[in-house]
Amino acid sequence: MIIAQELVKSFGSIRAVDGVDLAIQRGECYGLLGPNGAGKSTTINMLVGLIAPDQGRVEIGGASPRLAATRRRLGAAPQALSLYDELSGRENLEFFGRLFGLTGRSLRERVHWALDLADLQARSRHRVSTYSGGMKRRLNIAVALVHGPQVVLLDEPTVGVDPQSRNYIFETIERLKADGMTILYTTHYMEEAQRLCDRVAIMDQGRLLAEGPVAELLKRFGGNKVVVAQVTQYPDGVKLPETLRDGQLRFEAAEPMETLAKLMAQGVRFQAIQISEPDLESVFLALTGKTLRD
Amino acid sequence: MQIVTLAIKDLRLMLRDKIGAFFILVFPVLMGVFFGLVMGGTPSSSRGKMKVAVVDHDQSEWSQRLIAELAKNDGLLLETDEWESARNSVRLGQRVGLIAIPRGFGETAAILWEEQPEIQLGFDPSRRTEAAMLEGMLMQASGALIAERLRQPTQLLPRLDELRRGLSESTRQDPVTPILSELLDQVADVIDSADQLQRVEGAAENQGGIQMQFANIKNIDISEHEDPGSVRAQLKKIRSRWDISFPQGMIWGILGCAAGFASSIAREDARGTLVRLRAAPLTKLHILLGKALACLIACCLVIALLTIIGTALGMRSDDYAKLFVSALVVSIAFVGIMMTMSVLGKTEESVNGSGWAINMVMAMLGGGMVPAMFLPQFLQSVSGYSPVFWAIRLIEGAIWRQFGWHEMLLPIAVLLMIGLLGMVLGTLVLMRRYK
Repeated sequence: MIIAQELVKSFGSIRAVDGVDLAIQRGECYGLLGPNGAGKSTTINMLVGLIAPDQGRVEIGGASPRLAATRRRLGAAPQALSLYDELSGRENLEFFGRLFGLTGRSLRERVHWALDLADLQARSRHRVSTYSGGMKRRLNIAVALVHGPQVVLLDEPTVGVDPQSRNYIFETIERLKADGMTILYTTHYMEEAQRLCDRVAIMDQGRLLAEGPVAELLKRFGGNKVVVAQVTQYPDGVKLPETLRDGQLRFEAAEPMETLAKLMAQGVRFQAIQISEPDLESVFLALTGKTLRD
Repeated sequence: MQIVTLAIKDLRLMLRDKIGAFFILVFPVLMGVFFGLVMGGTPSSSRGKMKVAVVDHDQSEWSQRLIAELAKNDGLLLETDEWESARNSVRLGQRVGLIAIPRGFGETAAILWEEQPEIQLGFDPSRRTEAAMLEGMLMQASGALIAERLRQPTQLLPRLDELRRGLSESTRQDPVTPILSELLDQVADVIDSADQLQRVEGAAENQGGIQMQFANIKNIDISEHEDPGSVRAQLKKIRSRWDISFPQGMIWGILGCAAGFASSIAREDARGTLVRLRAAPLTKLHILLGKALACLIACCLVIALLTIIGTALGMRSDDYAKLFVSALVVSIAFVGIMMTMSVLGKTEESVNGSGWAINMVMAMLGGGMVPAMFLPQFLQSVSGYSPVFWAIRLIEGAIWRQFGWHEMLLPIAVLLMIGLLGMVLGTLVLMRRYK
């Protein structure tokens, strides 16, 4: 559904996107992960057709995103809230719906649907300037969806929102996934990508470092599980996998339960044990040598 | 359709921005009312010369003397002309006024006891201050003519003798006739005496204020060319200062629209909505045309609003069809200017600042702030480069200058050219910026 080949985009001497390839299937939720400045938004802008790549090509459903017909199949929720504060939520939806060719009854129905989706029916006639940050975020997504696109590009849709609105956004995206919509989702929150995306691509400094299903990436780059255990007793002569610090033992292992069982058999006693699965944060760390929020 | 949707959105945004709406819709009305109330206001400085046409129907020695006296004023630039051409030049604003000296002026001019010939004074209604000054200068020149007459008793005596003869031959038996006859005898005696003449001459020179009342000046409507009894002519007679002040108000409203809409593209860019518009199935030209249409509608609305309020106060248009065309043409010109202004900066603040700076210069040069007459000569000479000058000229032409369609052609052509150039320039720069 979305194909990008060898995308390159520079701004002056800065190469914002450097040879990015993407192939996103119909109905797939694809995550583009990376820290701020990784080149995610520039990639999205090229996919939407807002900026022309210096090199490479983009196709949405087999056609250029610069064509009006292609744009009608696309919905984009930019990272910055792109709303008219002086208009009400309903007026924003009606305006953008009209721009995409909706009129009359179909417009009214779609606006009603979008307001339901964003849980904004009760405030639909209030000006956007009176909305909370979370409400604006939800409306920002609803505007991208009001014309019923087949593909939606969500650029950091949860930035700056409260946990309640974040959950609501997650549920909305899960509903869209269930409806078979193709979603490209950019974020620098790994847990969001892990929860929502079928496949993810990890991006840093304009390049794609790795791409694939989440489980596969974890397996390839996630490393071992991390064990943190509070030790209450251990006999002399028992060799621990790592040095004990303030009564806490921290180690990594592919099969931590086996290691723990051996230790307990040797008389080591634990007050609490926490075993963490490797996550995309670990993957990013393994790939770049730095954390996402560096 | 999408362009209309974009325009409606922009108009709605304009109306919801209370401060913006105030400057676009209310401020121009206040300007119009304010300037209407103070119209006729401050006297002119002597920096610019008043161009005045002189129509000498008499072609006598005394009419020439009057013209020569007038020409002594440094503030006047006299140009002799034919009646129709002079009237048109004033109507078109090319001259401040006209002075028409009637036939037979020389026979009785400046003879105190004769009925004074009627000197016609026509002036541009937008230059009432200058007209008052011109009337004063005419009075002064007439006073000088009286002094001149008194210096030439030989020219007065024949007229005096004629009067005395008439009285003596009169068959009327009333008590006034002998008294008047005796009075004229005494006047003749006085004029005969060179000493007495000198005294009279001195008085005439020293008491200019008294002499002025002997000039018979009639103000005329330079736009009058139809039956004075017609409804149209009657309406014109009660036309008010609002005819002058409301066109200026209209211009300020349009300037507000241009500056307001110019910054809207930068504002959309800053708030992120431009990205959304560009992601919609629209071309950049659609977005620009949407802004242009909104600005055009807003400009026309401002003119319509001021026309309605002005009409309620007493403003009258000569021809509402011409006013409609003028409104449209002026709006198109300022849409072009708006589009150029919109690319002068990349932020809302920079576009706003530069837009209003340009507005102020255009308004000042073009007569939007003070009549161009008050400007120094070198600034007056560049007035024609200001779109405001042409816009005011065109609107005034439709309201009271009685422009014919052929006379409207030049301002229309100039304004359309400005509009077109502005649109092309703005579009090219914007297209390049968001390539």
